[in-house]
Amino acid sequence: MPTFPRICLPLCGLVTLVAVATRALAADAPPPVSFSKDIAPLLLKKCQACHGSPEPKGGYQVSNYTLATKAGESEQPSVTPGKPEESELFKLISSTDADTRMPKEADALSAEQIALVQRWIAEGAKYDGADPKAPLASIVPKMAAPDPPQAYRRPVPVTAVAFNADGQELAVSGYHEVTIWNPANGALLRRIKNVGERVQSLAYSPDGALLAVAGGTPGQAGEVKLFKAADGTLVNELGSMGDVAYRAVFNPAGTKLAVAGADRSIRVFDVASGKQEILIEDHADWVVGLAWSPDGAKLASASRDKTSKLFNAANGESLMTYSGQGEQIFSVAFSADGKLIFTAGADKKIHAWNPDDGAKKGEIAGFGREVLGVVTSADKIFSCSADKTVQQHRAEGLKPFKAYPGHTDSVYCVAYHPMTGRVAAGSFSGEVRVWNAEDGAAVATFIAAPGYTPPAPVAAVK
Amino acid sequence: MSWNSWKRTAGLQACGLALCLAWQGQLLAAADAPIEPIVVGTPSRIEVFPQQAKLDSTRRTMHLIVSGFYADGAVQDLTSVAEVKSKDEKIARTEGSLVLPAGNGRTEVTVKLGGHELNVPIEVINQDSPDKVSFNYGTLAVLSKQGCNSGACHGSPSGKGGFRMSLRAYDPVLDIDTLVREAFNRRTNLYEPENSLLLRKPLMEVAHGGGRRLKKSDSGYEVLRDWIAQGCQVDPDGAPTCVKLEVYPRERILKRPAHTQQVLALAHFSDGTVRDVTQLAVFSSSDEAVATVDANGLVVSQDRGEAAILVRFLDKIETSSMMFLKEIPGFHWNSPPENNFVDHFVFQKLQQLQILPSELCTDEEFVRRIYLDVIGVLPEPTETAQFLADANPQKRAALIDKLLERPEYAEFWALKWGDLLRIRNVKVSNGGVHKFNRWLVAAFRDNMPYDQFARQLLTAEGSTFVNPPANYFRTATETNDCTETTSQLFLGIRIQCAKCHNHPFERWSQDNYYGIGAFFNRVQRKPGINPEEQVIWVARAGEVTQPRTGKQMQPWLPLTGSADLKGEDDRRSTFADWLVRPDNPFFPKVEVNRIWGHLMGRGIVEPVDDFRDSNPPSSAALIAALADDFAKNGYDRKRVVRNILNSRTYQLSSRKNEFNATDTKYFSHATTRLLAAEQLLDAICRVTSISEKFAGLPAGTRATQLPSPDVESDFLKVFGQPARETACACERSTDSNLSQALQMINGPLVHSKVRDDKNRLRVLVTAGKSNEDIVAELYLAALCRKPSDAETAAATKHITNAGDRFRGLEDVCWALLNANEFLFQH
Repeated sequence: MPTFPRICLPLCGLVTLVAVATRALAADAPPPVSFSKDIAPLLLKKCQACHGSPEPKGGYQVSNYTLATKAGESEQPSVTPGKPEESELFKLISSTDADTRMPKEADALSAEQIALVQRWIAEGAKYDGADPKAPLASIVPKMAAPDPPQAYRRPVPVTAVAFNADGQELAVSGYHEVTIWNPANGALLRRIKNVGERVQSLAYSPDGALLAVAGGTPGQAGEVKLFKAADGTLVNELGSMGDVAYRAVFNPAGTKLAVAGADRSIRVFDVASGKQEILIEDHADWVVGLAWSPDGAKLASASRDKTSKLFNAANGESLMTYSGQGEQIFSVAFSADGKLIFTAGADKKIHAWNPDDGAKKGEIAGFGREVLGVVTSADKIFSCSADKTVQQHRAEGLKPFKAYPGHTDSVYCVAYHPMTGRVAAGSFSGEVRVWNAEDGAAVATFIAAPGYTPPAPVAAVK
Repeated sequence: MSWNSWKRTAGLQACGLALCLAWQGQLLAAADAPIEPIVVGTPSRIEVFPQQAKLDSTRRTMHLIVSGFYADGAVQDLTSVAEVKSKDEKIARTEGSLVLPAGNGRTEVTVKLGGHELNVPIEVINQDSPDKVSFNYGTLAVLSKQGCNSGACHGSPSGKGGFRMSLRAYDPVLDIDTLVREAFNRRTNLYEPENSLLLRKPLMEVAHGGGRRLKKSDSGYEVLRDWIAQGCQVDPDGAPTCVKLEVYPRERILKRPAHTQQVLALAHFSDGTVRDVTQLAVFSSSDEAVATVDANGLVVSQDRGEAAILVRFLDKIETSSMMFLKEIPGFHWNSPPENNFVDHFVFQKLQQLQILPSELCTDEEFVRRIYLDVIGVLPEPTETAQFLADANPQKRAALIDKLLERPEYAEFWALKWGDLLRIRNVKVSNGGVHKFNRWLVAAFRDNMPYDQFARQLLTAEGSTFVNPPANYFRTATETNDCTETTSQLFLGIRIQCAKCHNHPFERWSQDNYYGIGAFFNRVQRKPGINPEEQVIWVARAGEVTQPRTGKQMQPWLPLTGSADLKGEDDRRSTFADWLVRPDNPFFPKVEVNRIWGHLMGRGIVEPVDDFRDSNPPSSAALIAALADDFAKNGYDRKRVVRNILNSRTYQLSSRKNEFNATDTKYFSHATTRLLAAEQLLDAICRVTSISEKFAGLPAGTRATQLPSPDVESDFLKVFGQPARETACACERSTDSNLSQALQMINGPLVHSKVRDDKNRLRVLVTAGKSNEDIVAELYLAALCRKPSDAETAAATKHITNAGDRFRGLEDVCWALLNANEFLFQH
């Protein structure tokens, strides 16, 4: 089996292409090697795993140009401009001694790759980007994400669902895609590709024009993309992170998009310009939930560090920390009047707490396992849980109101559309269920995997 | 931090440490072990194990272990050099000695070697459709083998990097959730299995704090990938469960040039099938200096000696006992006389391993050694002189008998047990300390049979003042403490780890832990009439619930299983009945081992209260013989002590010869060791003849008589007196440190006694003794021998040159107290 079948090929292809292009265009004087186009992708692919932050092997870090050209523990210059033979980076990748050669305990770089590094150093080891401290991931050429499966062999877990503005479409997470369905009958309407491996969060802008898609590749990359809701055209890509983005939410005015992820950060982007305006690094672990206050002035977060925090959305200042849950928190929502924050967690409860003083005001218990999602609308609180249930509670008194039956596995996500009065929830099994909130009746049930044919019942085999 | 929480933490760290070592052992083994080419020679016959195999799934394989037997009785593992060929490649194929399935049917695999040929019938079935990976016995076994769920990594209580698995996969229900559903299915990629974080992290394709733990060429990679590709499923209800692990060979003696052994691990399942799990099992060696074992189960000898190869497959553990011998040039067994069965077993092993025992120790060494070991104090110079002058050839045995009847014997051994029973004011009150101590002293004085001793402690009821053994349940304040203390003291089992999870490297499960607890959880404690006293009573009902499973536990006994007990009886009696049953292998062994450890400086099992498969005795036959003699003779502890002391083994010199210089565990010479804190203090008092005063205790009380460590003595603490916080013999520190040196060199205790107006040397001066005589008596008091002429000359010269005679004599006394010959038992 080839190594890295899906990701390596485009890269190797790129390198080869560059080499071929080089020869074809200017046989006599090839254009200089580009750090961002040629070297950074190599470092990312082959070196970053061991020489990434926070504790790089040998004290040598390749996370950005400045670091990659600095000496490690050996104090031998990693790069001596113009002199590859005096550069540890070149010496170690070209060494013939298996014990010292890099990458360690892995295949050596190809002769072409080694030659590329050698020439880059010989040409002065120059940087061709704007900020030499910009993370490598942010300067390498953007490549289109791999295509989703034409027809799914098997369902994939549903980690995000969202109703569009008029409630006539339901966006659902797929594998390298977002699928758009008719929530009334479960018919597939469209597919939006060019997204990362996992889609963790879907959000329509309040005016219905944009669909924000957050996700990425676990442990490797996080991304947030804005698509035109109507036709799936990519409008903008908002930054890139070192790990999956778990939540993206529009402010009530639709002018800002707040994003939280496994890199422990919360970022606020200006929707029109796509610029990152605020970076909050206040959590000690993944931030997986995020909600705007109804007035758009504050942001509440949910983190695996067992706290929920409240921030000033205008400047990122921390206002309050709620530690009352005592377990990982997965989801957060404001009450309609903004006077309560609901947090759902691994303690099998939803806590209600006061954003003004951080005091706990009540809780919803009775879940069999972790509560993974909580959303609110007027007097309604919807939740989904690893105990396979989707439930509705009244905001008043936090009393149980209704259960939406049918799911047979952990329910990862839930959404509610007030105008159509529909509730949608997706589970690990790949199944999406839509109900009428009014009477609790099932509206549609479907496996959100285009082209997937369930196997014949097992009983028939025997 | 409370003691209990500290203990838990410490326990976990200890577990983690041991695991780290085991893990490193595996990693290093391949690189460190020099494997020489195997010389086949001319075996008189060969054997193949297993003799037949059934491959009942596409995932099943079988290693064949080939052994050669030689005319001289030697045996050698020839697995790697045997020619193994299938008669029908369409049914079974071979890779080296590994047999793999190819298609349904029956065939034979031929093993050829050294002119011998054997056929192994192979049956292959169920090849029509690929078999699924078992979550319990495939996925989790791989994660265990790669160390992912070890105590130092994701198996720690809080996991690592936010990813937590159960330690060594004791909780598959938790693990399946963590691996698949937790974190929104982050860790496994059902659509493209190769892209799963669960694979890319250990492959180091994605940064991994634990480094590279997996290669694509590892069989484990394939198992994990296939399991994900098959949908990350758990085993169906009713799937066969592993009921037994079998290792081959169980035991083997290899003599150079034979120096390697492939170990085979076979898992027996509840449906009767047998699977080769060698690739999935975890191997470790009890003594890496003797033998290393690599991740594939190949054992390589590093030195002569014995090692237990521990084979673990999930919660099943078995050992393969290996002995490695080699011809030592110039070695000649000199057939030392055997005084009793102790010598018989010790010498048998020494001869086999070609280790030559030291000479018999001198009378001077013997008298010092025996006083310190039996009664904890040095002999008076007159006693020493009398013994040395005695012409009776049986004088050593006579002295042993005499010392065993001395009151100090009972007091000194009560001190040892006082440590284990944690006798302290804070635990049993001041009054309780003295009452409990008096009970212990009486038990040793009267030589109370050990079974009665244990029974009195374990079934005690009533007031701790009226019935001191009831303090056993006062120091053990709750059920878990009773479980752990009782297991360690009377069974030699450190079962603490099993409180929170199945023991990571032993056979004890969490169920076992709470099953033992079910014998003790009805014990209740209430205040007595005296405010210092407590009353122990037994409730008529009450059950133990296993915290992980929530199941009510039946009382459970090792090797016996669940005990069916009538409702209201005191379950502790049942436990005690079982404990002292003649066929209980744990009970007598741990006590004879403890006694042996006290007398020899090292247990046959070391640490003395840590019996486990991965910590085998240095002589199984010896400990069995001692335990057997103990059990058959009314659990008479003095008899055990006497047997050991009268052996030539005990009486060997600490001076080594060229054939036993490196031996540390086969008792070929006496083990030198620092005197215990109390022995040392008493010895200083003896040499100076100035006793130590302990607050609240009568004048003249010796340190070895102390009922508890509640007397505040910096000296004793510095020299390792335990605070009696645990029932572990390990609490008494045997480490040496700088504070000890400072105490001896210029500490107030030594100084004041050496300078005391009424000390030995001043009394001798007053009596008109010459410097020579005084020096001689000081030597006799401190070292139990006369000074040599050179020593006398040097000492008297120093005294003369000192100007002040007292100052000079004090210097000599001080020098003696700081001599290793004084500080050490030898």
